[in-house]
Amino acid sequence: MVENDEFIGRLKVLGVLIVLVIAVLIGRAGHLQVYDGDYYARLADGNRIRLIPAMAPRGTFYDRNGALLVNNRPGFTVSLMPLAAPISDEVIARLSGLLKVPVEDIEQKIAAHTGFNPIRIKADVTPDIYTIIEERKEEYPGVIIETQSVRDYVLNEQGAHTFGYVSEINDMELEKKKDEGYKSGDIIGKFGLERVYDREIRGVDGGEQVEVDVAGKPVQRLGMKPPVAGADLYLTIDKELQQAAEKAVDEQLALINAHAAAAVVLNPQTGEVLAMVSRPAFNPNLFAHGISSKEWSKLNDNPYHPMDNKAITGEYPPGSTFKIVTGTAALTEGVVSPEELIFDSGRHWIIPKGNADGEALGNINFVQAMAHSDNVYFYEMGNRLGIDRLEKYARMFGLGKVTGIDLPYESEGLVANRRYKELNFEDGDWYLSETFDAAIGQGFNLVTPLQAAMVMGEIAADGKRFQPHMVNRIVGPDGKLVKEFKPVLLSQLDVPAADIKLVQTGLHDVTKYGTAARIFAGFPIEIAGKTGTAENPHGKDHGWFVAYGPFDAPNVVVAVIVEQGGYGAQSAVPIGRKILEAAFGLNQPQPVQASQAAQPAQPKQ
Amino acid sequence: MNKRLLRRTDFTLLLATAGIVIMSLIIIGSATHINTPTEERYWYVQRQGLFALMNFALAVFLMNFDYKMLQAYGNRFYVFNLIMLIAVMVAGHSALGAQRWIMLGPISIQPSEFSKLIMIVCLAAMLEDKVGKLNTLHDLLPVAAYVGLPFILVLKQPDLGTSLVFMAIFFGMVFAAGINLRVLGGIFAAGVAVFPLLWMFVLKEYQKMRLKVFLDPNVDPLGSGYHIIQSKIAIGSGMLYGKGLFGGTQSQLNFLPENHTDFIFAVVGEELGFIGAVFLLLLYLVVLWRGLQIAKDASDQFGRLLAVGITSMLAFHVLVNVGMTMGIMPVTGIPLPLMSYGVSSLTTNIMAIALLMNIQLRKPKLLF
Repeated sequence: MVENDEFIGRLKVLGVLIVLVIAVLIGRAGHLQVYDGDYYARLADGNRIRLIPAMAPRGTFYDRNGALLVNNRPGFTVSLMPLAAPISDEVIARLSGLLKVPVEDIEQKIAAHTGFNPIRIKADVTPDIYTIIEERKEEYPGVIIETQSVRDYVLNEQGAHTFGYVSEINDMELEKKKDEGYKSGDIIGKFGLERVYDREIRGVDGGEQVEVDVAGKPVQRLGMKPPVAGADLYLTIDKELQQAAEKAVDEQLALINAHAAAAVVLNPQTGEVLAMVSRPAFNPNLFAHGISSKEWSKLNDNPYHPMDNKAITGEYPPGSTFKIVTGTAALTEGVVSPEELIFDSGRHWIIPKGNADGEALGNINFVQAMAHSDNVYFYEMGNRLGIDRLEKYARMFGLGKVTGIDLPYESEGLVANRRYKELNFEDGDWYLSETFDAAIGQGFNLVTPLQAAMVMGEIAADGKRFQPHMVNRIVGPDGKLVKEFKPVLLSQLDVPAADIKLVQTGLHDVTKYGTAARIFAGFPIEIAGKTGTAENPHGKDHGWFVAYGPFDAPNVVVAVIVEQGGYGAQSAVPIGRKILEAAFGLNQPQPVQASQAAQPAQPKQ
Repeated sequence: MNKRLLRRTDFTLLLATAGIVIMSLIIIGSATHINTPTEERYWYVQRQGLFALMNFALAVFLMNFDYKMLQAYGNRFYVFNLIMLIAVMVAGHSALGAQRWIMLGPISIQPSEFSKLIMIVCLAAMLEDKVGKLNTLHDLLPVAAYVGLPFILVLKQPDLGTSLVFMAIFFGMVFAAGINLRVLGGIFAAGVAVFPLLWMFVLKEYQKMRLKVFLDPNVDPLGSGYHIIQSKIAIGSGMLYGKGLFGGTQSQLNFLPENHTDFIFAVVGEELGFIGAVFLLLLYLVVLWRGLQIAKDASDQFGRLLAVGITSMLAFHVLVNVGMTMGIMPVTGIPLPLMSYGVSSLTTNIMAIALLMNIQLRKPKLLF
């Protein structure tokens, strides 16, 4: 055999290495067990090591001007320290009585618990319970009080759908997110921004490894990892505008006895969402310390779905607000000239569909038709364009797909088109009457309030479509900027500037002599708007209003829908007006009225 | 088996192996009996014992075949190995963030365990005619590429522990194959230089965490640092004589997770003390020592390389696993051979020992 000696020599080297390995291991075992044995025996005996997790405080939410929106407050959690001996039934019964938690629940929690960290029995107890347990320690052996930060939604229901809520991670989420470092018992964002930015705002949990005595009292700290607070979110929301919008919606709902509504306010030049309201709402604080089943079923059984963010999840026929799309398409495709007069006899001559109240406006041009929201005129536009071109423009405006806003559960909406009919109906043929319906935003078309605001925003911003977003920047606990969200231009309408101008003029006239003129009478800032009434097969019609202002330099767009509110002009427009008043600072007495009125172009900061 | 073969059987190796396996069954029984419901109390022991017996029977049967037959199948084994590893990535079940398991009926197998032994066989077959000819980096490249492909697949799972075992096997075998020591030194130097890149681009966050924890368990006192501290307490508190079987407080009271698998040595240390720990380590020394002897006596290059490869694999496992439980090696999740609960690992290691004995049976001359 070749180089046998060389091979044997190398085997010897390997042999020496192996002896060394075993020697090192034996040496280490000797060190731990003989030299340091007493020390470890004491640690093991006095029993034992416990982990006391320290939950990282979640990041704070601020509004665009730094006003507080969501915070944390300290809360007391009653826990059991797992001990070598089981906790006596007597103590469990006493604790059950004090906390008003059934004995079975406590026993179940103990049985389901593995590991060494405290067993949480009740989160966020009142200070008197804390005092009782602290004062009568000997009556509650093994019971400890942990201080945990509890989410505090200072505005309660206001902004709830945007902020979201947090709650303990469930098994499904844990399975999915285990690789990202989520653990059982973690608090996780379930909805809204809490959910979308959970990774950024959750921080890194810390904890202490302590040696405890038989009664579970810490004797010595062995290891410590301080928790790292989560990053803060600076939202695009303006707190005061948000509150004004909430108030405007609530007042109007009470006035007309409706129950559900949504409003979106955004800056069309940046995509920043300035306010977002959905009604009915829920109080996210309920979830922070574990919602009771009674409260939960109350939310779940509410027929108006308080847990849905209707501003982005609700899908409604756009109604006449869709005439913005139809009108833009008609001008751009050249099927009508701005000057052409079309005769409205109260109903269209091919299919006898007419205006809602049957009125006849006679000869009208584009701008007048837009201002008065004339159905007959827009039926004719639909007739001339055909459904395929209507679909093309609706999609150009971004309808039929999610806007991509940084909130969960956004709906796509629907753009009426032939394929949809083919796929979903037995009679898949497309009929002219369906084109008519589509042209005025009824029929198959569906939009979310956010999408409605986006369409209006594109007209306001001369065709530019910006990514709507809720967060301006994320700032780390050390004050360093983690991420900044600059405006992102998504698309630009492929429409001549002159045509957009005409649409703008038509929308402007809506508040001058058109459908919203009565309510905007005397409004000090020039506003463009569009009302809408969406047919609702399940009840009263939904009322729409979309608007932007100031007309010459728009930086605020509003979209409002009132479910089953009837005509938009009566249900949604008053809300829109109040929101615009708040946006331009007109809703409060101004000491320097004159100078305010002189430069009303900026939304209040 | 005929008498001639029986007379040549390596009884030292057989006894040491049997000793470790028996110890393993006792310790698994001790580690699992408290925290398992009564009706399943001996489930782990029974299962491990059953597979040990089945593997032993299979090993006896395989003695009838000459290990040299394996050499011809080197490349086929290699392809099979790759397919198996890719299958894990596609169809594997994940545990603790790594895809390592494939379900085969009621048994979940861990292909990366088998892949180590298969890799040894392929590499021995491949290196057989290269012995003494590994003088330049250029000579070594094909060998490195040959091991590199399955290595990357394992690393991708991600299974850092097994991929390190691949490296140990590779270095053990090329060393025995007479690699030029300067080339070897160069590789180590390059390895040191490349590590920062590995750190930045290849290692997953939790793997980095484990390395950081190794340097300072307090970095993560709630996660893997906790394992290390608890394991050290368990072993240390066993002191000289141990707390007696079934008497370990740390391991019994569920302070120490995974005590029947990766951290089984901690149970040995706690319940059997320093004496038990040394006894077990000496059993390993016997096995490893016999491995090298068998390599020396083997009748051909293939057999020599096989024996060295198997010995390297076992030695590395013992070092990293036992070292981990005592806080001198990072937590990488590789089992203690023949001790840790786990069907795939047990089968692989018994087959490896069987292969060593097979080589011994076919050595050229009688020593008796």
